[in-house]
Amino acid sequence: MLAYIVSLATFVGFFMLLAIALNLQWGMTGMVNFGIAGFYALGAYTSGILSSKLGLPVGLAMMVAVLAGLAAGAALALLSGRLRDDYLAIVTLGFGEIVRLIILNEDQITEGPRGLRIAEQPLAGWVSVENYPLLYLGLVVLAVAVAFALSETIRRAPMGRVLRAIREDELVASVLGKAVLRHKIRIFAIGGGIMGLAGALYAHYVQNISPDVFLPMVAIFIWMSVIVGGAGNNWGLLLGAGIVMVLLEGSRFIGDIAPWIDAEKLSAGRIILIGVLLIVTLHLRPQGLIPEPRYRNKFQRKS
Amino acid sequence: MAINLTRRNALKLGAATAVFAPSILRAQGAEINVGSLTPNTGGGGPFGPNITASHKRVADLVNGQGGVLGRQIRLYQENSETNPETAVRAADKLINVNGVVGILGTWSSSVTLGIMPKCQTAGVIQMCTSSSSDIPMADEKGLVFNFQALSPVWGDAIAKLAVTRGYGSYGLMALNNDFTKSMVDAFAAVVGADKVIKEPLYYNAAQASYRSEVTSLIEDEPDAVFIPSYVTDFTAVYKELYRQGYEGAVITTGLSVGPKFKEAVGDAADGVIHGLPVPPLESPAYGEYLKEAGLEDTGNVQHPFGTAGRDQMSTLLLAIEKAGTTDTAAVAKAIWQVTTGEGKRTVYNVTDGLAAIRAGEEINYSGASSSIEFDAEGMVLGRDFQLAEIRGGEDVVLERLKF
Repeated sequence: MLAYIVSLATFVGFFMLLAIALNLQWGMTGMVNFGIAGFYALGAYTSGILSSKLGLPVGLAMMVAVLAGLAAGAALALLSGRLRDDYLAIVTLGFGEIVRLIILNEDQITEGPRGLRIAEQPLAGWVSVENYPLLYLGLVVLAVAVAFALSETIRRAPMGRVLRAIREDELVASVLGKAVLRHKIRIFAIGGGIMGLAGALYAHYVQNISPDVFLPMVAIFIWMSVIVGGAGNNWGLLLGAGIVMVLLEGSRFIGDIAPWIDAEKLSAGRIILIGVLLIVTLHLRPQGLIPEPRYRNKFQRKS
Repeated sequence: MAINLTRRNALKLGAATAVFAPSILRAQGAEINVGSLTPNTGGGGPFGPNITASHKRVADLVNGQGGVLGRQIRLYQENSETNPETAVRAADKLINVNGVVGILGTWSSSVTLGIMPKCQTAGVIQMCTSSSSDIPMADEKGLVFNFQALSPVWGDAIAKLAVTRGYGSYGLMALNNDFTKSMVDAFAAVVGADKVIKEPLYYNAAQASYRSEVTSLIEDEPDAVFIPSYVTDFTAVYKELYRQGYEGAVITTGLSVGPKFKEAVGDAADGVIHGLPVPPLESPAYGEYLKEAGLEDTGNVQHPFGTAGRDQMSTLLLAIEKAGTTDTAAVAKAIWQVTTGEGKRTVYNVTDGLAAIRAGEEINYSGASSSIEFDAEGMVLGRDFQLAEIRGGEDVVLERLKF
C-alpha cells in the first residue's frame, strides 16, 4: 500500500507541475493552452532520447528538456501573439497534436509507435532499488516546490499584476504602457519549461513512453485540476490536482469493495462518477475550491 | 528513517492500513491475488470485455472446486482504457495494493510494454495478446507470456495466400502502429520487394479523411493493396477506395472486417480478402469455451481474444499448482512445464489439468485460442491462421493454416 501511495503521489506531482504551468498561462494571464500534452511530450521525448540514445547524463538531458519546453512556449506565444481565447485554444491544441504526430512518424529518432524505452534514471544507484521510488518522489516534490515558489513569486511581483491586467483586458494593459506581447511570450515560455520538466520527470519514472500517452486527454485532466482547485490560486490547483487524481484512481477501489459489479460496467461507471463529482463541485463552488484572493491595495487593507 | 519498500513490506503495510478498506484486508489473507487488465474501452473495446469475462469464469470455476494449492483465487479486474498512461497507474494498484502474482489480459502492445518496467521491477508475471516484436526484447526476467502470434507471422501467412493468387504488383498502406508496421515488412518480404510498387504508406488513426493517402496508394494501379488496420480506420479507408473506383484486390487483417465493417459498407465488402489467427475450431477446448461463454457453434471464428483470456487464466493457475508456490520465478518456469513439450498428457481445461497435476502426471495444456506452446522467450509458437474472402456479405473461408 505504501508503495502505491508513493507512486500515486509521484503521479500527483506530475499533475501539479502541469497545473502550476497552466495556472501561470491561463489562470493568471488568460492565455488558453490546450496543448499541454505537446509540451509534456516534448519534455519527455527530449530527455528520453538524449539520455537513452545519445548517452547524455540524465540531469543534463532533463535540463535540455526544460529548455526545449521554454523555447517551444516562447515560439508558440510569438507566433500566436495576436490570438486570444478560442483562437489560441485551437492553435495550442494543434501544437499538441503536431508534436504527437511528429513523434509518431519520425520513428528513426523517436521509435514511433513502438514506444521509447528509457533505462536511465536520475540519481540511480544512490539508494537501493526498493527505496528508489521514495527518492524519486522526493525529486518530484522538489520540482513542484521550485515551480510553486517561482509561480508565487511571479504572482506577487509587479509582473503578476501586469499578467492579471492582460487577463482582464489586454487593451487596457497596453494602453497603460505595458509590453503585452513580451509578457505573454515570457509567461508562455516559463509555463512551457515547467511542462517540459514534468514530461522529463514522467519519462524517467515510467521508463517506457509512446505517443499514445500524450493524447489531448492529458490536457483535460489538468484543466479539471485548475478549474476545480481555483484558477489563479496556486494553492487551489495543488488541491485540484490531488482531487482529480484521487477521483481517477480512488474510484478503482470500488471494484475491490464491491466485486459483484462486473468490470465492464464499473469502468464505465467510474468515468461517469468522475464527471458527476466535477459537475457537483463546480455547481457548488464555481470559483473553485480555493478561489483566487481578491487583490486589495494598501488603503483597502487598512480599513 | 529508511523505509524498506519491498513488495512484501508494502503488503504488510497494506494490511495495516486496510482498516479503511476491510475488503482489501480479507483479500490479502490466504487468497491468491491475480490481476486482470483489459481494454474494456478505447481501441480494444470490442475485445476487452470478452477477455475480462473469460478470466472471471475460469477463476470462479476453480474457486468452486476448492481453489489452487488449497487457496481461493481473488481476481482484481481493471480497465486499461487501451491507454498506456492509465494502464501504468492501474498496474501500480494491482501490484502494490492488491499484491497480484500476475497481470493478465493486456491487449495493445503499447500497454503491455508500458506496464512492463513496473512488472519487471516487482517480479510480476504478464500474460498478453500483443503482437509487437519488441515484447520479447523488453522482457529481461522471462516473466512475459504472449498468447498472440507476433505480427510478422500474420504478414507472412497473408502474403503466402496473396502469392498463390498471382498478383503482379502490390500497394502497401497501413495504420501507423507497431503491430501493422512489422506486418507490412513481413508481407513485403514474402511477395518480393520488386512487386511492391512504392514505399509503404503509413497513416494516422482517426483522420478526418483518407483521400490523399488512398489517391497516392492507387495512382500506379497496383493489382492488389494490402492494408493492415483496425475496423474504424479501415472502414473509412475502404469507403475511399470504393469512391475512387479502385478495381484491384483489397487485402487486410480479420480485425478490420468484423460485422461493423460489413454493416457499414454493405455489398461493396465483397471480394475483400483477410486473415487472422484463430482458435482451433475442432479443438475440444474451443468447444468447451463456446459452451462456457453461452455461444452457438456457428462453424465460424468467435471471440479470438476471449479464448486467449481463458487460456491465460487456466495456464497461470495450472502453473501455480504445478510450482506448489506463488513465487513468480518458479511459476514462470512451471508455465512452460504445463504447456509445452512432448509426451505429456494433453488437457483441455483447468479442471482436468489440476486433477492430473495432483495425481502427479505431467500435462500439456491445449487451449481454446491455440495449442499453447511457448518458445524460450514466452511467445506462443503459433496459432491456426484463417484466410477468408467476403462473398455476399459473409466470410467464406479460403484456407485454415494449421499450426
